[in-house]
Amino acid sequence: MSRQPTPQKPLHKPNPSGRRIVALWFPHWAAEVTAFDYEAAQPFALIDKHKNAQRLIALNPVAQAAGLHMGMALADARALAPELKTAMADNRQAKAQLEKCAKWLQRYTPWVGHDTAVETPHGLAEYGLLMDVSGCAHLFGGERVMLADMAARLEKRGVSLRAAIAGTIGAAWGLARFSPTLITVLPEGQEAEAVLRLPPAALRIDNGHIDLCQRLGLETVAQLARFPRRDLTRRFGPLPVMRLEQALGQAGESLNPCLPPPHFLVQQNLAQGITQIEALADLLRGLCAQLAAQLHDEGQGAQRLDVTLTRSDNAVLALSLTLAHPSADAQHMARLFDERLGRLSRGVDAGYGIEQIRLTASRTAPIAPPQDAINLSGRLRQAAPVAALGHFYDRLISRLGPQTVLKPVPQASHIPERAVKLVSVLNAVPPPVLEAVPDPQTRPLFMLCAPEPIEVIAEIPEGAPYRFRWRRVLHEVIAAHGPERISPEWWTGFMGEDATRHMVHYNRHTRDYYRVEDRQGHRFWLYRDGLYDRETTMPRWFMHGVFP
Amino acid sequence: MPDKGHNQVKQAVAQHKLQRLKKLITRFEPTVDIGVKISTGFAPIDDYLMQGGGGGLPCGGVHEVVAARPGDMAAALGFAHRLAARFLAASQDETILLYGQTHAAVREGGQPYAPALAAHDLSGVHLAYLDGVTLPDLLWAGEEALACPAIGCSLLASWDTAPDFTASRRLTLAARAATRPLLLTLGAAAAGTASAATTRWQLASAPRQGWQVTLTKSRLAYEAVPPPQGWTVYPQHKPLPMQELAVDGVPHDVKTPVPLMAAQRVS
Repeated sequence: MSRQPTPQKPLHKPNPSGRRIVALWFPHWAAEVTAFDYEAAQPFALIDKHKNAQRLIALNPVAQAAGLHMGMALADARALAPELKTAMADNRQAKAQLEKCAKWLQRYTPWVGHDTAVETPHGLAEYGLLMDVSGCAHLFGGERVMLADMAARLEKRGVSLRAAIAGTIGAAWGLARFSPTLITVLPEGQEAEAVLRLPPAALRIDNGHIDLCQRLGLETVAQLARFPRRDLTRRFGPLPVMRLEQALGQAGESLNPCLPPPHFLVQQNLAQGITQIEALADLLRGLCAQLAAQLHDEGQGAQRLDVTLTRSDNAVLALSLTLAHPSADAQHMARLFDERLGRLSRGVDAGYGIEQIRLTASRTAPIAPPQDAINLSGRLRQAAPVAALGHFYDRLISRLGPQTVLKPVPQASHIPERAVKLVSVLNAVPPPVLEAVPDPQTRPLFMLCAPEPIEVIAEIPEGAPYRFRWRRVLHEVIAAHGPERISPEWWTGFMGEDATRHMVHYNRHTRDYYRVEDRQGHRFWLYRDGLYDRETTMPRWFMHGVFP
Repeated sequence: MPDKGHNQVKQAVAQHKLQRLKKLITRFEPTVDIGVKISTGFAPIDDYLMQGGGGGLPCGGVHEVVAARPGDMAAALGFAHRLAARFLAASQDETILLYGQTHAAVREGGQPYAPALAAHDLSGVHLAYLDGVTLPDLLWAGEEALACPAIGCSLLASWDTAPDFTASRRLTLAARAATRPLLLTLGAAAAGTASAATTRWQLASAPRQGWQVTLTKSRLAYEAVPPPQGWTVYPQHKPLPMQELAVDGVPHDVKTPVPLMAAQRVS
C-alpha cells in the first residue's frame, strides 16, 4: 500500500437519483421503551446477553458516575460497582416497539424500512430505521422542520433520537451516528464531502474492518478512499468498497419497506417432480421446521397453515389446517400434515409429479415465548396442559374434521334441545363450565338428535302413556314422573316470519314431558306434543331421550 | 360315594391349577394396578373392591362397560359416566372429559346432553365430544387422549362393534403407561368377546331407577371372586318420585280408561 493512490472514479459525482433518505438512530432504544423500576440514587444498568457474555447496554447517571460505560461486561461492572442493580433487556419487546414506531413514522412517508443489519462493537442489538422521504418533506415545512418535528414528538414519548437526511442510505446512516449535531441535513450533492470526513466506522462495515483501519492508522473515510478499490478489496474484502460506493452514490442500494407485516412463507422448488407421498411428507417436515423458525423469531404462532402443491402440469392442490391454539412447534405441524397426507394418499393425484411445495402461515397470532425457567409454581403449571390440549385438538381435527370435535355451549333457551349447542372446539368461545340446571335428574343423559314419534297404544288421558311402541319395540310403563310442561317461547313469534319459520316444526306446541320406566327398567323421556283441544285435537307422542 | 369324593378332589385340583396359572400370569405383568385407585361410590361394589386390600379401581387401565341387553346401553353409559366422574375427581386438576361415540351410537342413542351431566357428578367438567366417528378413529382418538396430559379421562362408546383383542391390548398398555383411565362402553354384542381390559362390567337396567352391575372380567391384582349375580345399585342420591302405574302387569291408579272400556263393552 505504499504506492501513491490514484482514485479510479471521480469522488464528486452528483447524486443523480434525487432521492432523500432519512436515517434515524435510537441510541438508548431498549432502555427507553421498556419501563424499569429503579432508585435514582443507585447505579442501575440494563444488560443484554451476547455470546454468553452479559454486557451493559444502558446506564443511569449514577452508574455512569461510578465509571461504568456501555458495552462493558457485567462482571467488570460488578467489580467496579458492587451495588449495581440490573435488569435484562427485553429485545423482543424492543423490536416490537420499533415496529410500532415504524408504523407511526408512516405519517411522514409510506416508505419506512428496517435499518441495515450491521455488526456492532459488542454484538449488542442496535435500533434504527430508514425512511425514503423523496418528495415528502415540503408537506411538513421542509426537511429540517420535519426532522425537528419527528425528534420533538419522539422526545415527548421519552425516546432520544439522532437523525440525518442525505441523498444516500450510507451517508444518512453515517451522519446519523457520527455527525456532531443531533439532526443533520445534508444538502443535495454533498454526500461525498460529508462522508469522507466521517470515521471509517460510519461506513456500516464489520468490526474486523474497523480494527484493521485503526491498525493502519486510517481515521477518516477520505484516507480509506484514497486507496485504489482493487487494493481495498484485496485487503478488506468486498464489503467496505461496496459500502463506500453506496454511501457516495456510486452504487445503487434499495430500501425495503418493513411494512406490511411479515407474511410467513417457505417454499421448495424441486428439480424433478415427486410422486411419492412419503417423499412429500419428508419435504414438508423440512419446510415446517423452517416456518417454525420464522414464526419463532417473530414471536408468532400459526393459526392457519396452507400448503400449496404445484404439479408439473400446473395443476394446484391445496391443503389447509386450522389450529386450535397458535403454535410455532415444527414437530406438531409436521405431525398434523403427516396425518393429513396419510389420508390423502388415497385421494391425492400427484400426476406427473409435484414440482413446488409452498407452506404459508396465513393467519398468525402472537404467542408467549416458551417458559424456560425450571421454577414451576402452581399458576404457571396451567400453561403446559393448555398447549398439550391444543395439540390434541389439532390432531383430532386434522384427522376427523372440525365439525366432529365439539364442545357444548349453553344457550339462552328453555326448550330442552336448544338449551345447549354443540359447536366446534375451534370456535373462540372459552369452554364454559356447564352450570347445573335446577334439577338435572329430570334431564336425560342422552338426547336423540331429533324427537322420534312413538306409537302410544294405551294412555291415561291427560297423563303418561301406559303402553307404547318405539323403534318397533313394545314398552309397558310401570312408573312415570311428570308432566313437566314446557311451553313454546312466545317471544320468538315477534322476530318476524323468517326468523321463526325454521323453528315452527318443533316449537309450535306446548309439550308435556314425562319420565317413564318400563317393565325392564329402561327409562325414557317422552312428551306429548300439544295441549288437547286447545292446540290440537290429536296430540302426538315423541321420544326425546333416554335416562341411564 | 367314592366317585363323588373323587370328583371333588378333581375339582379341587383344577381349582388349584387355575389359581396357580392366574398367579403365574400376574407375575408376567406384575404391575396390574397402576395409578390412583378410586372407589365407585356404590357401597356393595366398593365392599367387594376394597376387600383383600384391593383398594379400588386403578386409574391406569381400560375399563369396559358392556350392556347386558340391547336396551341397556343407556345404563352402561350412565355407569361409565359415574366412573368417569370418580376418576376425574381423583385426578385433581385435569377436568376435561373426552367423550367419543361411533356413528351408530349417535344414530341410536343421540348426543350427550350437557345439562344432565350434573346429575352424574360431572358438574364443572369440560366436555370434549367426538360426534360420530368410525371405530378405528374412535380407538385412535382414545390413544391420543391417553397421550395428552390435559385429558383427565376418556369415555368411548361403540354400540355395534367392539375392538378386537389386539386393539384392546394396545389401549390397555397405553393407559397403563399414561396412568390415566380409558372407559369403553360397548353394546350387548360385545359381551363374549376377548379383551385385555383391566375390568369388564356388565350393566342392566333394574326396576325403580336401579342398575344391575356384574363384574364379568377382572385383571385386578386380588383374587376374590365377584358374585356372579352382581349387585343392584341405585345411582341417584335422591331418586325422583315416580308414580307407579302398574303392579304385576295390572294397571292400577288408572281411573279413566276403565270406565271407557266398560262403556265400550256395554254398547
